[in-house]
Amino acid sequence: MSYRCSRCKRDVTLDEYGGVRCPYCGHRVLLKERGGDVKEVSVE
Amino acid sequence: MSEADFDVQYIERDDRSARVLIRGLSPAFANGIRRAMIADVPTFSIDTVRFVENSSVMFDEMLGLRLGLVPLTTPIDDFEIGDEVTLALDVAGPGTAYSGDLVSSEPLVEPADKNVPLIELKEGQRVELEADAVLDTGKEHAKHQGGVSVGYRHLQRVTVEGDLGEFDEEETRILRGVIETEDGEIVPTEAFDHDLSERYPGKEVSVEDVPGAFVFHVETDGSVDVEELIVRAIGTIEERADELRTTIAV
Repeated sequence: MSYRCSRCKRDVTLDEYGGVRCPYCGHRVLLKERGGDVKEVSVE
Repeated sequence: MSEADFDVQYIERDDRSARVLIRGLSPAFANGIRRAMIADVPTFSIDTVRFVENSSVMFDEMLGLRLGLVPLTTPIDDFEIGDEVTLALDVAGPGTAYSGDLVSSEPLVEPADKNVPLIELKEGQRVELEADAVLDTGKEHAKHQGGVSVGYRHLQRVTVEGDLGEFDEEETRILRGVIETEDGEIVPTEAFDHDLSERYPGKEVSVEDVPGAFVFHVETDGSVDVEELIVRAIGTIEERADELRTTIAV
């Protein structure tokens, strides 16, 4: 799961020990990035 | 089968809209044609969208729904119901993505209008997608309707009964549709501002429906032209009647 720090804009990977926190700047607001795969949507 | 005595007369005619007077129809048949024009003439419409990238402010699903409503030109003879055509869109901001930016893999099937706004993109936003358009009928989904705003009215015959009495007040008499005068002239009511007292000042007139004569107003979304829409709609009625006949005969 990859996130992006909202303050320093760096990519952040979370593990189960570190809690929700950017390891570079300590900011606690992380943004979830859109995945890279193609998403199929049916139009109804 | 007896030869029905139909008479067809175009009152207005354009690529996308027309007014047609048809005589010799029963009300049930007229309504059948109207319904067939809405629900039974197939058109292409985007059905599945594969998003490679969407960094716009709009959700994939919302953009998908908008894409579904873009009218696509449909040469019905060359395709069968269920056939698919792929279109692609790749636009980057800043700017607005229009239906004209859709690139079709099949030159016969492309957006009927090039100026339908799909989404507004800001600097750095981008949309890249691939969409499958499928041929289907309006009864499956309203986005497949070829005919929009299809309806009919009775043709109305206006007869001059005599002069207005000396002390009678001239009142406006609003009428919408198409009238037939006593000498057989067909006049849309727009010609006299929908007001019979404009056309027949100082006269007393009576208005009655002409039996079996219907004025259809037909408008298409651009996927097929008006004449084809009408002919196809009648064709589907014929097909179903044939099907019923063979089923009964067996």
